[in-house]
Amino acid sequence: MVEAAPRAAVHTIPDSLDAIEECYRRGWTDGLPVVPPTADRVQAMLEAVGLEPGHVLGEVPVRRRALTAEQAAANAVMAGCLPAYFPVVLATMRVLFEHDPNCIHEVSAVTNSTGLMVAVNGPIRREINLNCTDNLFSPGNRANSTIGRALRLILINVFEQRPGLLDRGCMGSLTKFGVVFGEDEENSPWEPFHVSQGFTAEQSTVTVATIQDPSMHSNRYGSTAESLLDSIADGMASHGLAAYFGRNIKWVWIVGHWHSERLARQGWTRTDMQEYVYERSWRSAGQLKRLGMATGAVQPGDDEERRMTVAGPDDILIFKAGGDSGMYSELIMNYYGVPAEIGVI
Amino acid sequence: MATQNLPTVQLVDPTGFDPGETPLVMAARPIDLRGGRLGLLDNSKANADAILWAIADALNDEFEFADVFYARKHSSSLPPHPEVLADLHRNADFVIAGVGD
Repeated sequence: MVEAAPRAAVHTIPDSLDAIEECYRRGWTDGLPVVPPTADRVQAMLEAVGLEPGHVLGEVPVRRRALTAEQAAANAVMAGCLPAYFPVVLATMRVLFEHDPNCIHEVSAVTNSTGLMVAVNGPIRREINLNCTDNLFSPGNRANSTIGRALRLILINVFEQRPGLLDRGCMGSLTKFGVVFGEDEENSPWEPFHVSQGFTAEQSTVTVATIQDPSMHSNRYGSTAESLLDSIADGMASHGLAAYFGRNIKWVWIVGHWHSERLARQGWTRTDMQEYVYERSWRSAGQLKRLGMATGAVQPGDDEERRMTVAGPDDILIFKAGGDSGMYSELIMNYYGVPAEIGVI
Repeated sequence: MATQNLPTVQLVDPTGFDPGETPLVMAARPIDLRGGRLGLLDNSKANADAILWAIADALNDEFEFADVFYARKHSSSLPPHPEVLADLHRNADFVIAGVGD
C-alpha cells in the first residue's frame, strides 16, 4: 500500500453559493446541498485528528481506489461534520478496511441496497452530543446526521459508488443517508454493548455493520417478557428476509426504553434474551420453498427441517436505545460486507 | 473590467484516485475458440452453474473444446480467491463468467 499520496486538486470558484452549485455540477453530492470543502475547513478537520493530508487510510484493491485523510476530511466537511466528529468517521472507515478492504466494493456491488450502521458506545457520545434516545433515527441531530452522511459521501466520491454506476442497489435504501446512533448507556438495565464485548466503559467504540432496511417493532399490548421475545423472534423470521437465512447473517435488536424496562423488571439478561430468541427464530425449509425464498421443490421432511435465522445466540446483538414516548424496538438485519465489527475510536 | 481582485472560494477535490503503479490492460483476445480450453466462473448465485453449463454445451457443439474447466467464487459480490484465479489461468484459455438467480 502507498504510504502517502499526492495532494488533492484545488478548484477555484467565484463565491460560496456558486461553490455549492459547483459541487452539484461535479457530482460530489448525495442530492442535498453540501458545505463547500474549502481548504481552511478541510485543514481544521485534519488538525482535529493530527493527520497529514496525504496519509493513506486504506485501499480497495478490486476498485483500485485509495482513501487519503484529505479526501476523508473534504467529504466530512461537505457532510456538515464538526471536526470533533471526524474521529468517528475515521474509526468506521478503519473497521471497514481492517475487515476486508474489498467489502467496501461489496456493499455497492450487491443488488440488496445495503447501508452502513454505526452504533457508538462510550464517552464520545456525550462529547459530540450524539443522540441515543428520542427520535433515534430521525433527522434533526447534527452528529447523527452528518457522520452517516460523511461516510456515504466518501463511498460516492472516493470509491465511486454512484447509483446506476457502481452502486447496483435495486430498490435503494434510506439507510444510505446514514444510520448512526449511540447506545443509551445511562438508562440501560444492562452493561453497555461494547463492555459486553470485552471493551472498557471508558473506551469509545464504533460497531459497524452493513445492513438492510430496519423495521420498527411494536409489542405494546403484551405484559410478559416472553410475549416480547416471541414477537422479536417472529420478526426476525419474516419471510421477506428469509432468502438470507443460514448465510452467516447477524441481527441487531435495538431495545426501546419500555421494552427494556419490561425485560429487566422480569429479570432477563442480555444472554438470556439472545438464547430465547435464537431458539424460536426459524422457519421450515418447506415454508421457505413455498414462499420462493429457497430453491428447489418441496421434499418429504422439508416441513420438519428448521432453518435458523442466525447461526447462534451471539449473532443477535442487543443495544438499548430510543425514546420513552412509546413502546417500540427496532430490528435490523446485517448482511454482506461487514458483520458488525467493533473498532476503538 | 478587471476581476482578478474579487474574492474566490477554493474547493479541495474530494474524489478518489487510482493508487496502482501499473495500468490495467485487457488480455489478448483469442483468435479462434476451436479446440481451446473453456473456463466457467460461477459467481455462486443460485442457478449460475445451470446457465453456464448450458452455454458451454451449446458452444461446444460449434467449437469442440479440448476441455471445460469449472470454477466457483466464494461470494457473488467479491473477487475470486487468488487460487481460483490461478486455477483458471492454468486450465483455461478463455473464461465465461456467469450470473444466476
